[in-house]
Amino acid sequence: MSAQRPPVESGQAFVLHAIAWRETSQIIELFTRQHGRVPVVAKGVRRARSALRGVLQPFQPLGVSWFGQGELRTLKSAEWQGGIPLLQGRAIFCGFYLNELLLKLVVRDDPHEGLFDIYTQAIQRLSEGDALEPVLRSFEVSLLRELGYALPLQQEADSHKPIDPGANYRFEVERGPVRLREGEVHAVQLSGKTLLDMAESRYEDPLTLNQSKQLMRLLLAHHLGHQDLHTRRIIQELPSL
Amino acid sequence: MSPHPDRLLRLIHALRCLPGVGPRSAQRTAYHLLQHDRAGALVLAQTLTDALEGVQHCQQCNNFTENPLCELCASDQRDGRLLCVLETPADLLMMEQTRSYQGRYFVLMGRLSPLDGMGPQDIHLDKLVRRACDGMTQEVILATNFTAEGEATAHAITELLRPRGLILTRIARGLPVGGELEYVDSGTLAQALLERRPSA
Repeated sequence: MSAQRPPVESGQAFVLHAIAWRETSQIIELFTRQHGRVPVVAKGVRRARSALRGVLQPFQPLGVSWFGQGELRTLKSAEWQGGIPLLQGRAIFCGFYLNELLLKLVVRDDPHEGLFDIYTQAIQRLSEGDALEPVLRSFEVSLLRELGYALPLQQEADSHKPIDPGANYRFEVERGPVRLREGEVHAVQLSGKTLLDMAESRYEDPLTLNQSKQLMRLLLAHHLGHQDLHTRRIIQELPSL
Repeated sequence: MSPHPDRLLRLIHALRCLPGVGPRSAQRTAYHLLQHDRAGALVLAQTLTDALEGVQHCQQCNNFTENPLCELCASDQRDGRLLCVLETPADLLMMEQTRSYQGRYFVLMGRLSPLDGMGPQDIHLDKLVRRACDGMTQEVILATNFTAEGEATAHAITELLRPRGLILTRIARGLPVGGELEYVDSGTLAQALLERRPSA
């Protein structure tokens, strides 16, 4: 009787993060199309002549295969698929930010094919030198939607009345936009136009950019709980970035 | 209740500060040192204390040294107009082995790694700014790794130093010397194509 081989899974993936493990290996957090977030050990990848060394880089689409039954799988192969230039300058920090959101908000082994496509598209846009903030905001809104926390951006909370672009709103987590009374002010104040712009991923208006950033910061803080975003802190610590 | 005496437990715990050493290897190492190599353990303990007391960061280049200035920084044979920024002392050794660089160095002792929480404070950027603005330096050569973290570090330093009137350059990347297209990895080749230069 021949020994049973472990089943091998394969598919498209991105490297989200890698940490050194033992003398010559790495533990790599992959974001795969069909299986979601999968941690694998890449054996011998830190050896000087490892062929995988240059391949297992973040922000690059890869074709990977792995096997194993436990939580930590073993990487079998990784191939460079190409098509997305390496991120440059500030876009690298934005890429790290997207990765940190995925690492902290997506649980392991939970497939999100839609989110995989959204992530791929966001990285593609970052690599093409698009304005960075709109890419981040669109990604954040889509990320929450894919995780089951779609934002009601076109209707008021409870009453479901359509949002009035000329009115001002505050946003109640898990309820939605609540219209502000005449003269009422709020820490995170949103114009109706901002909400409608966000619903359609339009971020040309500086006011939309500013208000949407505050709203998403509030919502992400809620979903992250006690976890800090290192990337955001480090971007702020870099004085002239 | 633990079967280990308290001092042994503390040794095992202390050994876990070594990179890549978990509870199991720490225990194995502790047994080995106490049982089979007590002389070696003593030498280790003494040299470790000695190194902690005697080794410091060079005031100028931040590399490890026993004096306020390391040998390279104390030398008057180097070109003070060039400053090469590296991630680690190992990178500096590689650079010296090329025998094609006569300028000065600055060793960051790390890289920006946002996902690991490594920020500007962890890589001595304030010290680098002081070093680069010494009035002698004209060009800062960024020789951090070509990883996402290395590139992020190079970008941050560029943003920090360019307003101060310095020339910022990045070491080139592409095919290795003697490299044949047939055998080079696709990522390198793709980037070499993107970063092509006018043919001499």
